[in-house]
Amino acid sequence: MNRRVAALLMVAAMAWSGALDARAAPPGEILRGWYGLILELVRHTPTYSPPVASRSFAYLGVTAFETVATGSDELQSLAGQLNGLQPVPQREAGQAYDEAVALQAAMAFAARNFFENTGPTGQRAMAALEKKLRAQVSAGLPADVVARSEAHGKAVAAHILAWSRGDGGAVVENMGFPLRYELTKGPAHWVPTSLIAQQQYPLLPNWGKNRSFAMPDGGTCALPAPPEYSEDKDSEFYKQALEVYQTKNGLTPEQRDIARFWSDDPMLSPTPPGHWISIALQILERDGAGLEKSVDVLARLGVATADAFIGCWNAKYRYDLVRPVTYIRRVIDPKWEPLLITPPFPEYPSGHSAQSAAAAVVLTQLFGENFAFRDATRRSDGLTPRSFPSFWAAADEAAISRLYGGIHFRAAIERGLEQGRCVGAFANALRTRR
Amino acid sequence: MRLMSVGLAAIALVAAGFAHPAAAQDTVAIPSFVEETAGAGIDSVYAGEWEYMAGGGVATFDCNDDGFPDMLLAGGASPAKFYRNTGTRGGALRFAAQESGLELDKVTGAYPLDIDGDGIADLVLLRVGENAVMRGLGNCRFERANEAWSFDGGDAWSTAYAATWERGADWPTLAIGNYIDRRQETSPWGSCTDNWLHRPGAVGGQTQHRFAAPLPLTPSYCALSMLFTDWNRSGTPSLRVSNDREYYEGGQEQMWHIDPGEAPTLYSEAEGWKYLRIWGMGIASYDLDSDGYPEYFLTSMADNKLQTLASTPPGRPEYKDVAYAKGVTAHRPYTGGDVKPSTAWHTQFEDVNNDGLVDLFIAKGNVAKMPDFAAKDPNNLLLQGKDGKFQEAGDKAGVASVAISRGGALTDFNLDGLLDLVVVNRWENAQVWRNTSRNAGRWIEIGLKQPGANRDAIGAWLEVKRGSAVMRREITSGGGHAGGRLGWIHFGLGNSEDAEIRVQWPDGEWSQAYPVSANRFVIVDRTKPAADYWHPE
Repeated sequence: MNRRVAALLMVAAMAWSGALDARAAPPGEILRGWYGLILELVRHTPTYSPPVASRSFAYLGVTAFETVATGSDELQSLAGQLNGLQPVPQREAGQAYDEAVALQAAMAFAARNFFENTGPTGQRAMAALEKKLRAQVSAGLPADVVARSEAHGKAVAAHILAWSRGDGGAVVENMGFPLRYELTKGPAHWVPTSLIAQQQYPLLPNWGKNRSFAMPDGGTCALPAPPEYSEDKDSEFYKQALEVYQTKNGLTPEQRDIARFWSDDPMLSPTPPGHWISIALQILERDGAGLEKSVDVLARLGVATADAFIGCWNAKYRYDLVRPVTYIRRVIDPKWEPLLITPPFPEYPSGHSAQSAAAAVVLTQLFGENFAFRDATRRSDGLTPRSFPSFWAAADEAAISRLYGGIHFRAAIERGLEQGRCVGAFANALRTRR
Repeated sequence: MRLMSVGLAAIALVAAGFAHPAAAQDTVAIPSFVEETAGAGIDSVYAGEWEYMAGGGVATFDCNDDGFPDMLLAGGASPAKFYRNTGTRGGALRFAAQESGLELDKVTGAYPLDIDGDGIADLVLLRVGENAVMRGLGNCRFERANEAWSFDGGDAWSTAYAATWERGADWPTLAIGNYIDRRQETSPWGSCTDNWLHRPGAVGGQTQHRFAAPLPLTPSYCALSMLFTDWNRSGTPSLRVSNDREYYEGGQEQMWHIDPGEAPTLYSEAEGWKYLRIWGMGIASYDLDSDGYPEYFLTSMADNKLQTLASTPPGRPEYKDVAYAKGVTAHRPYTGGDVKPSTAWHTQFEDVNNDGLVDLFIAKGNVAKMPDFAAKDPNNLLLQGKDGKFQEAGDKAGVASVAISRGGALTDFNLDGLLDLVVVNRWENAQVWRNTSRNAGRWIEIGLKQPGANRDAIGAWLEVKRGSAVMRREITSGGGHAGGRLGWIHFGLGNSEDAEIRVQWPDGEWSQAYPVSANRFVIVDRTKPAADYWHPE
């Protein structure tokens, strides 16, 4: 979601004073208001590399889902379905609760905690949004209802937060780069691709060991090995490298646009999982989706992309494959430059491909096949919105964009998509409706 | 002060403490600094909350014509503080706080510049709110000159500055960099406000001694440092802008064509300008590799950048990053046990051990209390070796302060030929250190003077030849982080007993060569046939 879209959502969420009855404020607007800010926080919090972002999107989505589910006749809790999630605090029978107040309290609590390390501007923005939304949703309500609803929202969010702390991904130091690491020896394996001192060791090497959400563990959707490393011109490895080289060197304007549209660099965009969250938010907003549908979408999507990153990272550090820029400069052209910044971790499989496929699996189930949409996520960065006939069309484009960008071989893209399909099925298997 | 023609100086003054010239040694000489904050009488805090997370600069300049640098420290939410230098040559650092007229609040940065060409330093004050130009009246008194000089101070969060005299102009052009729209509370990202270009006013094609209405430098991407620099020695400086990627969308590092009489235009990718996105906070420049063109050090969070031209002579502004190769990434603390990434602000190339190789100072400090970045982030003093690589010596030299630093300046406060250090800290007292090195090499400090406008020859190139080595630096006004200096230009000479100075004046004309002795203050006046030695009273 671009900044204008995010800002509009926040403005909409805050504009209920005056002529409008604050009590008319739908909880869904609270949801979209907070997500608008969260997409900005992901972009502006230095630890938020794509895997870290996916983790927070999962927990934030589950927080919203469970808060709403405790007061819904339609929704089925994810406790007992997601790994390690115990039943969340329930509402007191016979007592009145306000959905908007509870959701506002839960999202504010979750955002403050998952972004407790953001900078002073993010802290200021969170405080300002919470203050305004809290005043608006509680206006005109009995004090005991407000207090009870807020306490409940916080209790649910605190329960999810406590659950999150044991997953292996809660502590991210040095922006995810280990201070000590032994690189695998041999030409087939990853070596640093930048001259940034911090990135001489690869990002989050243990992320694949994290507790997964819906799939059993990080090794569940394992992949076959990539093509065997070879510098022989007749080898599959060489051919795939040559494809990257020739494709990047002969990019069409359309291919260049696609590569940049999906580049989703950390600190310069909402990251790949944030891109898909943004797509979902744009669709929910466009279609005026209800609260239950919204939290279902955000929770499943968050879970699917987070699991995709865990599975992908598990494979990345199993195979520890060299990046195209390293191989091409070594074997084909020492002066070659990829279009995109090569990410500082092993190549196989492609993370964007895996998580985009997982997202497509989930969103296709929730919205249907051949569901057309327009994606304006990167508009404020000067990138023209793109339209897609289906979620799979978008996922396939996101995947191949990494080849256009010169940062992935075809095998990593194709196997990444396969892995995402596998991972997404576990999110789809979650029972969210009673 | 006393002046003496270089030609008449028969005996070179050899200052005490240079018994073991640094350049005579194979290893890099570690300088010694002693903190003298309390004794010097410095009591100034860069105060304030969110609107003062950036800024915190210091300006050093001589405003009472005694040759000793005085200084103004930004105070943020508190009034800025002016300190008159009351020290003596080679003595302990001494300052006296005194009313100067510069004590405005909401000051983020300050840069000295003789705007009106009267031989007295004026100041540009960057502020949260209206910026101010302050006319020097002499004897360290200043008055607001916004109205007299038609300077529109605007109403923004100003955090960067640079100045030049465009070709043929007798009034300077100022660039002011602005940060976030401070009124955006819940969504400040992407709200970078326009930078401004204040050019000379003109009537009938004749420039006047006042500023025209500022031109917006659109697009603007939250500048934290700006520098007019003649990167390709074309004779026309361009404007480099280092931007904070935390707040822009679709932004990058920038360089503007600022051609006289023309609207500013950005260097484009087609011209060779490469897409670089960093948390740009400060710029330092120096010709490190003696190819005649400046390198640029850009401060950021975690890794910093050192840019050198990809090829020379430069047809295109294509730079490659050699920070890693040269040992100046300075990406995390080197002492104190905190291993989280660093946050770098002011930066400056100077030769602190007088070995003839410029060194690099970096002020470090957390933005506020960001837990993912070092809380105790020592300032860097990176010493250049003969191989062109730098090694950290901040702790050994005694300047590894872990206060939350912002601005700073390496300046010879006590005129002993050794560069001292002042650093402005957020929420803590500023600090000053005296350079007490006894193993430093010889030195020379140069003042440039030319008639008419641009008295201090901003935009000149200064060459100092010692033996077969030629050291070059561009005389600029801007860069660093939120503060700069005006005054003596320092060169280390190693063990050379003499040197030769040449100046390329801002209009492109080369001076003759001036042979000079080491350990002297030299004034090169364009109107005089010989350089003059100057001696402090």
